[in-house]
Amino acid sequence: MYLVAHIDQAICSETACRLCTQYCPEANTILYDNAAKTAFVAVDRCKGCEICVGICDDLAKHHAIKMIMITDLKDTFELSKEGFRPESWTGKHP
Amino acid sequence: MSFKNMTITPGWEKYMTKEYVDLVERGPYGKQKKVSEMGSFKEVLEEHPMCAGCAMTLFIRLTMVGLPNPEHTILIGTAGCGRLALTQTSIPFIYGNYGDTNAVASGLKRGLEVRFKDQAKDVVVMAGDGGLADIGFSAVMHSWFRKERFTTIMLDNEVYGNTGGQESGMTERGALLKMAPKGKLFDKMDMIGLAQTSGVAYIARLTPTNPTRVASVVRKAVMIAREVGPTFIQAYTSCNIEYAIPTPKVLDDAREIESKRYGFMEIISDEAKAYLESIDTSKKAKK
Repeated sequence: MYLVAHIDQAICSETACRLCTQYCPEANTILYDNAAKTAFVAVDRCKGCEICVGICDDLAKHHAIKMIMITDLKDTFELSKEGFRPESWTGKHP
Repeated sequence: MSFKNMTITPGWEKYMTKEYVDLVERGPYGKQKKVSEMGSFKEVLEEHPMCAGCAMTLFIRLTMVGLPNPEHTILIGTAGCGRLALTQTSIPFIYGNYGDTNAVASGLKRGLEVRFKDQAKDVVVMAGDGGLADIGFSAVMHSWFRKERFTTIMLDNEVYGNTGGQESGMTERGALLKMAPKGKLFDKMDMIGLAQTSGVAYIARLTPTNPTRVASVVRKAVMIAREVGPTFIQAYTSCNIEYAIPTPKVLDDAREIESKRYGFMEIISDEAKAYLESIDTSKKAKK
């Protein structure tokens, strides 16, 4: 089993920093829902490098991202299944 | 290539892969996307096999956002880590042989200028420190001396990361590597100085610690290469495998190296500066 980044959307939606979306080395992995004003992770693309955790903790100081065992996530968003469809995101993602 | 060539014939969308449809409908084509919009548009870079937490990947991702017209761009690379991600972009990529990237780019750019008189086509060479400063050195220098109009971007990880950790010309003096067990005996090559000597119109040195800056530097370099002359970007993109940097510390390392010896630097010729100012004024006039 492996770790993936998980974003606490209650904390994230309070801010509008979007820094994790800019510093993630993987393309379209940390996505941003403009309607719900929160970032979220496409778990099928996350390689578990933890760069976003450092960015959120040290640079943004929001402490919204944690590394979580993939099996502990109840509901996941996978880009390969859902496709890149921002209009269908609004608050529905985990 | 152009955006027109990429669009799907009506009725055929259901036969195309999801990724392709998303790219055409929600990609960055025809509208200059900003770094702050990342995560809400489909990027030209797809999934790729580069290592987790690689700073080079981050730099490549930001470069793709910075390109002024990805639909009118051709990338040229060579053996090395960078090509693992560059081949996964929806931008035509030419896999040059080691040593000839800038020679291929020279011919290609001249050909494109003849073939497409009304449409600017950008040629961007993206290769590693080994590909440009060691093996491709001669072609790089000569393309600069000839003032060929394209951008050269060096992904400087200061090691041959793909082949087991040999020292390159761009490795720091004294660096200990798997295949340089006594430490490197010579100084890091001064490619910025060489670029200045050979009259490159725009030279930049940076690390991927500031995403907006990476995108704006790439944009400037590509625009200047269209009209003025050769441009060169040297980017520190650490190899976390060969330099044993834990992935959560990759950006801390980049910040540390940036403050010690890799600070942001921009050298711009008067002609290039005037050209950038003329673009700015014409943009403002349009508004």
